[in-house]
Amino acid sequence: MEFSGSHRIASPRAAVWAALNDPEVLRQCTPGCQEVVQVSPTEFTAKMVLKIGPMKVAFAGNVTLTELDPPASCRIVGEGQGGVAGFAKGSSLVRLDEEGEETVLTYQTEAKVGGKIAQLGARLIDGTVKKLTGEFFTAFAAVVAPVPEPAEAAAGEA
Amino acid sequence: MFAFAYHRPSELADALAALAASEEAKPLAGGQTLIPTLKQRLASPSDLVDLSGVTALKGITLHDDALVIGAMARHVEVATSPVVVAHLPALAALAGLIGDPAVRNRGTLGGSIANNDPSADYPAACLALAATIVTDRRELLAAAFFTGLFETALQPGEIVTAVRFPLGGEGTYEKYPNPASRYAMAGVFVWRGGDEIRVAVTGASQGGVFRWAEAEAALAAEFSPAALDGLKPEADDMIADIHGSGAYRAQLVAVMARRAVARLAAAR
Repeated sequence: MEFSGSHRIASPRAAVWAALNDPEVLRQCTPGCQEVVQVSPTEFTAKMVLKIGPMKVAFAGNVTLTELDPPASCRIVGEGQGGVAGFAKGSSLVRLDEEGEETVLTYQTEAKVGGKIAQLGARLIDGTVKKLTGEFFTAFAAVVAPVPEPAEAAAGEA
Repeated sequence: MFAFAYHRPSELADALAALAASEEAKPLAGGQTLIPTLKQRLASPSDLVDLSGVTALKGITLHDDALVIGAMARHVEVATSPVVVAHLPALAALAGLIGDPAVRNRGTLGGSIANNDPSADYPAACLALAATIVTDRRELLAAAFFTGLFETALQPGEIVTAVRFPLGGEGTYEKYPNPASRYAMAGVFVWRGGDEIRVAVTGASQGGVFRWAEAEAALAAEFSPAALDGLKPEADDMIADIHGSGAYRAQLVAVMARRAVARLAAAR
């Protein structure tokens, strides 16, 4: 399965790049993610709970950042094992383009889900993976560049 | 299956208390999705609260302007109920198309809509008929209840107790079933009452059941199958899997919608 998307983030590219390498930001943005531990500058281990309809499966896996070209692009490669339920693996090529003070984040994702979870949920996997990926990048955009409350913005100017 | 505690209360209050007692407790209605999931060890609830003994969740009652169907009504009961057949024949026909006899003997209205499987039939009827979903604590219009793929407005511990279908107008449901599972590859419920037209589509979209606004506008201008010529939902938004591509499902939706409109137009 392959798909892509893009988000405009109201933050400079260097800040977006830093956030993309921050395990706490990754944990906050990943739906169902309970823990992200950084084991090297480019490697993380992660625990997440994947919920698809009635299914609820805990995955343990690792995330690696490769093809690093800071602060313009990198590939996020992940794979997870869900025990008897099956496995999930995939990668996203993420590009950051500067547009004035803002950054446009574009991702191209390939994903593969196998095992029992894919057999029972064959109809649902694609939609779910797309939804989760979209949720991740939407949350990421929100964490990196929080939309200020009108009151705060006014206070900041004063 | 993993081990779990089993409860079978006869009072709604006891069922709600059992659900509230644990974060990992799950209600069990007909079990047509949940039990296979448990057998595959793809979920491990701490407690299962079987709702089949709760009489308050059963029954089909006719009111002046609505038909109220209890959440635990089995598909076979809705399909064969004389009152449903007489007052909402399209709903009875839809229930008779769900799964196979084994599924219809166990599966329930409340279980189907609470699960909100993107290929389930009942959500299309609820949206097209502008049904009200009644829960243990509030009432929600179907449009506010179904919030996305497998997602509803239900909060933890909240259960559907009944669905209220308004009477009036006329509707029909056309579905292209998967030949093996009988899940809808595309199912289209068309309803019209006076000038108002609703077209609800299930089985096709990655976001679950939806109202097809373009088709509704076209049919409001002219209620005929020809009014839908050239209209299709966006293929990229449709489910793509081993059973069919997004473009195939978009085409199926268009064909099912035309058939439904043709049937309604002919019935007049």
